[in-house]
Amino acid sequence: MTTEEFVGISNLPNQIYKLVSKQGGVFTLLTCGESGLGKTTFINTLFQATLKPSDSHTGRSMQGPIRKTVEIDILRAELEEKNFTLKVNVIDTPGFGDNINNDKSWQQIIDFIDDQHDSYMRQEQQPYRDVKFDLRVHAVLYFIRPTGHGLKPLDIETMKRISTRANLIPVIAKADTLTSQELQDFKLRIRQVIEAQEIRIFTPPLNETQDDAAAMEHARQLIESMPFAIVGSEEQFDNGSGTKVVARKYPWGLVEVENDQHCDFRKLRSLLLRTNLLDLVLSTQELHYETYRRLRLESHLNGSSNDNELGEKSANNFVAAPARKLSHNPKFKEEENALKKYFTDQVKAEEQRFRQWEQNIVNERIKLNGDLEKIQAEVKKLEDQVATLKLRKR
Amino acid sequence: MSASPVSQVFSPSNNGVSVFRRKKEKRGITFSMMLVGASGTGKTTFANNLLESTIFPHRYQQDVPASTNNENVKIIQPTKVVTFNSMNGIPSYMSAFDPASPFLEPGITVTSTALEITTKSSEDIDSATPEKINFFLTDTLGLGENLNNGICFDEIASYLEQQFDSVLAEETRIKRNPRFQDTRVHVALYFIEPTGHGLRELDVEIMKRLSRYTNVLPIVARADSFTPDELTRFKKRIMEDIDRFNVPIYKFEVDENEDDLETIEENKALARLQPFAIICADQRDNATGKYYREYPWGKIDIDNENISDLKLLKRVLFGSHLQEFKDTTQNLLYENYRAEKLASVPAWDIENNEVIDTSINDENNEGNSSGLMKGLTRNSTAPSLSNFASLINTGKFKSQQSLAIPPQSETPSTPRLTGVDEGDESRASISASSQKSTPANIQTSPERTKLRNISENIPYMLQHERIVARKQKLEELEAQSAKELQKRIQELERKAIELKMKEKLLRQNSHSQSQESIQTNTTKQNSTSGGAYIKKEETYNDLASIISKKE
Repeated sequence: MTTEEFVGISNLPNQIYKLVSKQGGVFTLLTCGESGLGKTTFINTLFQATLKPSDSHTGRSMQGPIRKTVEIDILRAELEEKNFTLKVNVIDTPGFGDNINNDKSWQQIIDFIDDQHDSYMRQEQQPYRDVKFDLRVHAVLYFIRPTGHGLKPLDIETMKRISTRANLIPVIAKADTLTSQELQDFKLRIRQVIEAQEIRIFTPPLNETQDDAAAMEHARQLIESMPFAIVGSEEQFDNGSGTKVVARKYPWGLVEVENDQHCDFRKLRSLLLRTNLLDLVLSTQELHYETYRRLRLESHLNGSSNDNELGEKSANNFVAAPARKLSHNPKFKEEENALKKYFTDQVKAEEQRFRQWEQNIVNERIKLNGDLEKIQAEVKKLEDQVATLKLRKR
Repeated sequence: MSASPVSQVFSPSNNGVSVFRRKKEKRGITFSMMLVGASGTGKTTFANNLLESTIFPHRYQQDVPASTNNENVKIIQPTKVVTFNSMNGIPSYMSAFDPASPFLEPGITVTSTALEITTKSSEDIDSATPEKINFFLTDTLGLGENLNNGICFDEIASYLEQQFDSVLAEETRIKRNPRFQDTRVHVALYFIEPTGHGLRELDVEIMKRLSRYTNVLPIVARADSFTPDELTRFKKRIMEDIDRFNVPIYKFEVDENEDDLETIEENKALARLQPFAIICADQRDNATGKYYREYPWGKIDIDNENISDLKLLKRVLFGSHLQEFKDTTQNLLYENYRAEKLASVPAWDIENNEVIDTSINDENNEGNSSGLMKGLTRNSTAPSLSNFASLINTGKFKSQQSLAIPPQSETPSTPRLTGVDEGDESRASISASSQKSTPANIQTSPERTKLRNISENIPYMLQHERIVARKQKLEELEAQSAKELQKRIQELERKAIELKMKEKLLRQNSHSQSQESIQTNTTKQNSTSGGAYIKKEETYNDLASIISKKE
């Protein structure tokens, strides 16, 4: 009989459930990739709402100059499903990879991710820390251009840097331009590169001990189909059997977004929202944030013990904001160096000119002095002549 | 398979026939095309589709031997690298896929292939000998794959300039090479990435550069990523951007007075269609010989003109506009370049200063009509295609003006220029050679001597310029690879130092262990806290071992 009367411990999950559903959740997603890969469309497709009009970029680029810089666009939205609200922050990076010289164009994105960790850390150190403004990036979607060849150096450099700071999920954008064979080859090459370059991409945890075989199988499937090939669309079409589906309508057929035969969109959505949202949030907190914190604190300790230039507040355990000047951005540094070089060159040239002038003036003076002496000598000679003539006259 | 779609496409379309026949030589028609565009936009596939063969291997699939399965196409000269440039001094073309190295920037490689296309015009009975097109295909690889793509278009532009230079050198030579091959690029297809947003900085910059040397046709590559609505919007945006940034692409212009009605209609239709949107494919139906793309949701027949402009483009390239592309290259772009180039010559050989003005005018004629006939008037060298006459005239007008100015402005500053020449060996030698030849012959027939001088000097000058440029590039490459090596050495040294540090640390640890004092260990911990995480753990282990020993 005692087994029927529970103490109540098993009710804890329900309590947590209530608490969480009251609080709601926060999810921050960063999209990164060259323009024209369907980032905006994908976001709209993912949440099935027009969070951002897809024409917003083009309108701006029509007016501005063609040389673009990487910008950070933050979009906040609250989504409600079955009385549960999820606060979604979508961060877009328009202008990435659009220039002729894309060296260091990842810097803004990396800085943004670091800044979020930093601001969170400093908020934690405040005396009152119950309200936190948290925009730490839980997942980064990196959009790869469907070239069919492989990853570009820009992709690799950027992904390498992101993967040490956040959960990186590479996706093949606009996958409806690759045939199944091409897609298979392309995926294989990307996976090889990711492995060889030691880029850590996010993988759903595989708990061998857990007896939930279905979840395991699902996770394995997700890992196998990485990087996800996706197709985005904001329009709905009739799929022939009478139901409306989100799809792209081509003259040669209808690409259904939520069809596993056509693309991996459903798998990606499952990874992002349905099954692994919590994993993403937790691994951000436990892995990426902790790593950042550790590195920062260590470097802080080092900084105060090794060089005492900034050591005025090393007494308390408070970490200062990173001394991030304008020169932090390597691009600015390059420009600065170029300008400095230009300046010194100019100065040198001017100095050279002045020296030349000086030389000329000195030469002139010597010449004039010579002339003067000559004239004086002549005068003297004439005077002598005059004197001799006078003598003769007498 | 051979007779069906191929010959119809390659054979000139109805209106081009008459011009074609007259122009036809025994050696066939030379036509040269360049493919430019970011990697992964389907240049290779397009080339294969265009020739209906599998001549060009895909990236990372170079082990497949080049083969023509189209009997109308014959490879005369297999693909070879013409020029390349890369940041680390290593050419990337044909490198196999290596997952460990793709972070290396591939730089840019320009390759060239010579092909012979035979056209059996089935509708013509009298032509016993089939028509031949000597087709040069130049491909560019690695564009858009680098972090900094600045080096790419410099390389492409210098390649195009080189072709102009070699023709110019040949033209001015006294003894010409009868087997000289004109490798000027008549048309460049620029593949725009299917972003849906309009042109990017790179696109605008490259098209502007290319259009100085060749006709640029913008192409929307991989058009199968757009639905019909999106495609029309994208095309509109591209044309707007082209207008906005003044990109001088090839426009299908019409001359209302000169052209016949049919041509006007055709050109207008083509102009409306620009930029052409094409879909290319690798898969081929063995039965019908048609290319197709197969997706889980449908099959695309790339020859379907409602979907893809590929067939139309083929017709434009090999049929209706082939001669026009050649004529604009020769009469407008090349003439402008030539005038510019020759106008810059007077500054080089100053000894001929007084007579430069006339000599260049003569020289202009001499170039167009083979031979040294000075009596020819400018009109006689007018091109055969009348609708271009106006354009060419204006082009020449400009060139004449630009020719007239430099000698006048150069005369007063002569002493300064000679000073410059003394510094430069090459220039001095050129002026010296002209000096030697001038006084000897000047009494007998001054006009002839001038021409002789120019035809002697210019080829060498151009050659010399080329050599100097090449040398410079080689030096740059050398410097780059040296830098790369230096970097690697530094890296290795750094690693060595790190290892030494580690060794030292371990030794210290063992030393402190013998002292058995926890105090020193903790202080050391502080001092090493800046190092790697692993080191810390090591000290922890030490602590643990010490404690266990004590117990």
